[in-house]
Amino acid sequence: MEIIEKIKTNKSDDNLTEIQKICLHKLQSNPLPNPKSELWRLSNKSKLSNSLDYSVNEKYSKFDIPYPKNSQSTIRLIIGENCQINLIEKNYSIEQLSEDELQKYIKEQISFFKQNENWSHLLNLSLSCKNNILGLKINGSKIPPIEIFSQASSNSLTAKTLVIFLEKNCDAELLQVNLGKENSSLSQSTFFCLKENSSVNHGVVSYGENRSNLLNSLNVIQQKNSAYNLGSLHFKFNYARFEISIKQSAGNAKTNIKGMQITKNDEQISTYTKIEFNGPNGFLDQINKSLADDKSHAIFEGSIIVPKIAQRTDASQLSRNLLLSNLAQIDTKPQLEIIADDVKCKHGATISQLNEEELFYMRTRGITLTEASKLQLSSYFQEIIAFIPISKDKWDLLDKLLNEN
Amino acid sequence: MVNENLVKDVVKEPYKYGFVTDIETEKIEKGLNEDIIRLISQKKEEPKFLLDFRLKAFKKWQKMKEPDWSGLGYKKIDYQDIIYYSAPKQKEKISSLDEVDPKLLETFDKLGIPLTEQKKLTNVAVDAVFDSVSIATTFREELAEHGVIFCSISEAVKNHADLIEKYLGTVVPASDNYFAALNSAVFSDGSFVYIPKGVSCPMDLSSYFRINSGDSGQFERTLIIAEESSSVSYLEGCTAPMFDTNTLHAAVVELVALDDASIKYSTVQNWYAGDEEGIGGIFNFVTKRGKCLGKRSKISWSQVETGSAITWKYPSCLLLGEESVGEFYSVALTNNLQQADTGTKMIHIGPKTKSTIVSKGISAGNSKNSYRGLVKMGTKAKGSRNYSQCDSMLIGDQASANTFPYIKSQQPNSEIEHEASTCRISEDQLFYLQSRGIEFEEAVSMMVSGFCRDVFNQLPMEFAAEADKLLALKLEGSVG
Repeated sequence: MEIIEKIKTNKSDDNLTEIQKICLHKLQSNPLPNPKSELWRLSNKSKLSNSLDYSVNEKYSKFDIPYPKNSQSTIRLIIGENCQINLIEKNYSIEQLSEDELQKYIKEQISFFKQNENWSHLLNLSLSCKNNILGLKINGSKIPPIEIFSQASSNSLTAKTLVIFLEKNCDAELLQVNLGKENSSLSQSTFFCLKENSSVNHGVVSYGENRSNLLNSLNVIQQKNSAYNLGSLHFKFNYARFEISIKQSAGNAKTNIKGMQITKNDEQISTYTKIEFNGPNGFLDQINKSLADDKSHAIFEGSIIVPKIAQRTDASQLSRNLLLSNLAQIDTKPQLEIIADDVKCKHGATISQLNEEELFYMRTRGITLTEASKLQLSSYFQEIIAFIPISKDKWDLLDKLLNEN
Repeated sequence: MVNENLVKDVVKEPYKYGFVTDIETEKIEKGLNEDIIRLISQKKEEPKFLLDFRLKAFKKWQKMKEPDWSGLGYKKIDYQDIIYYSAPKQKEKISSLDEVDPKLLETFDKLGIPLTEQKKLTNVAVDAVFDSVSIATTFREELAEHGVIFCSISEAVKNHADLIEKYLGTVVPASDNYFAALNSAVFSDGSFVYIPKGVSCPMDLSSYFRINSGDSGQFERTLIIAEESSSVSYLEGCTAPMFDTNTLHAAVVELVALDDASIKYSTVQNWYAGDEEGIGGIFNFVTKRGKCLGKRSKISWSQVETGSAITWKYPSCLLLGEESVGEFYSVALTNNLQQADTGTKMIHIGPKTKSTIVSKGISAGNSKNSYRGLVKMGTKAKGSRNYSQCDSMLIGDQASANTFPYIKSQQPNSEIEHEASTCRISEDQLFYLQSRGIEFEEAVSMMVSGFCRDVFNQLPMEFAAEADKLLALKLEGSVG
């Protein structure tokens, strides 16, 4: 109940938006997720409760962006900075969603939310004040790459919400960067609505600092003939959850996901994905990689749901995991729930360590063990990093992962 | 386009073991309480330690809740409306098979189980369990020559109490789960096998379980102990008559393999599955677990699950001994409104342990077929390996196939591989076979048989033939 009290004491009832009221009401009976439910079973309870211990902060404070803006053509937005964007060019337009559109869409999504399954979204929406919600309507093609930043403030719990509508035939590239600050929690919710024939390359890079926490939830609705490509990377968080829910509302859509999480020390990072096909001819190719070192814990749970209507679905899911220490732990649970009969669905999972034979080969060629391990890791990381849009040319993530982390 | 109805017709087959044997039985009153447990124990003339074991289990069971995580939908079971002990009336002690009620022998004959010793050609020793009691065990003398003990668990309690006391409940403790606790409290009979050191059991051992009574549950318990360097292959079969009520079957199987021992446990489960409307059928809630205690020991589970209205069964291996091996090969076929939630648990505790999982699920009609498995590498399981493969085949657009593999690793120096796929009967392959003059029905049957081949190859000869026949039967029927 504490978390609800915290939000309420922060504001009087009159200052709460309608969405905040609805979400608070939904959380009222069970303010915290059920620890026995499948989605929260493996989550570290004390880490979760610590991450909610900070006071709620709605104010925006300036922060350093990890890499400079070296190209004029990139559009950079920071959630909470009170940015107003209204770009109408020849080929494309990026407009702010009107208050009505925003409210209507979020309310519609909330109506499907369940307390346990969408707890992170509900928490975010009950915390997010108007300033911390950014809604965009993107239209057209040849749109310059878009970067959107969210950051938590130190010693506080910050919530940021992003809603993006990709209009018909639109083609966009968007990188979302979530930055954790020392001793802080960031609750980030993102809603994507891909209209017919639209496509997006979406990158999510969440990069923390010591003792930073992240509750990142992503909700994607794909209409017919849309293509959604997601490349994600989460690292350096004391506690982080990345919950992805993708619904192909009428089938005939394509989804590609390549995600990775890296845990060290006593961190816990988990990824939960739920992909539903609500129409025929859906396509999914998903790969999730984890790397766990020291005493850390990496979790992946992915479910693919193919109801009767989703005939001729082609879905594959692969979970690849590297366990590098005796004290680290990896849990993975890919799952298929299928009712349609004319489908091609497969999943696979592996857990292993670095390949000893490859290491040996490199060492016989005079490469040191450290270098050889790095080479192997870089090839492991590269597949995912190459899939994250924009970042590859200006932010050397690979170097960061190999040397700094 | 494949005619869906044709495929559906092909998987229909009337249940041919649904007859009831008209025999006088001794039943106790319905209900479950401490007095009933004392009564069962008294009827079986059990020593005190076993009564204590039962009562302790009962106390635990009373505190437990029926599990609901599997998402199986079934009518709530009224545990007070079940008869916990039912036995065919017969002479007090049977010295030879000739004294067994001919009706019982006839029943087993009808089921194709040879109890009469002249049928030695089969070279399979059988322990036949009818409702709550074991009625006969064949080839006992021959087995005794090798020091192999194969008898009903009630007899073992009397004659080998030390072994029972030492091992009973060590693999599946009474508090393990709701149904294991229930079984520990009320188990009636089952088989006991003891293979002494260095003995390779000269013949396959088999238990045949038959439920005859409609209102009694069956709670058998099987315990197999393989001493150092011994080996045994054990087969289990089950059938039940057709009743329009649901019958509860909650069994526990415990296997213990010591150094270099190997146990192969095969099941062909063909309990009555209920009719097309889902009325009647057996609720099959079974806990099967093997403990590879010794170094280089091996436990292999193979199962063909075709019956039961509800199946809830996860034969597992605890791999404690260094270099021990666990295997699980399964075919589960569900039709109409059957629900099967089956899989395995491979818990790697010792170093260099290995496990293999091959699971094939076929769902037809409105059935639900789930694979649920756990592979766990403990911190000491250095150099361990697991390979899992789960394939599902869907027949018809109303059936569902789910896969829920849980994988957990705490040991970097171990490898886990899992793969799963879902498919349907391929139209191209069907077309090809039909164009070669193979009838539709046979073509489907061939493809299903091919789909299950990896598992059938692991079954002992006697069972492989039976399993193939069983699937073929289920797939046989009126085409067109």
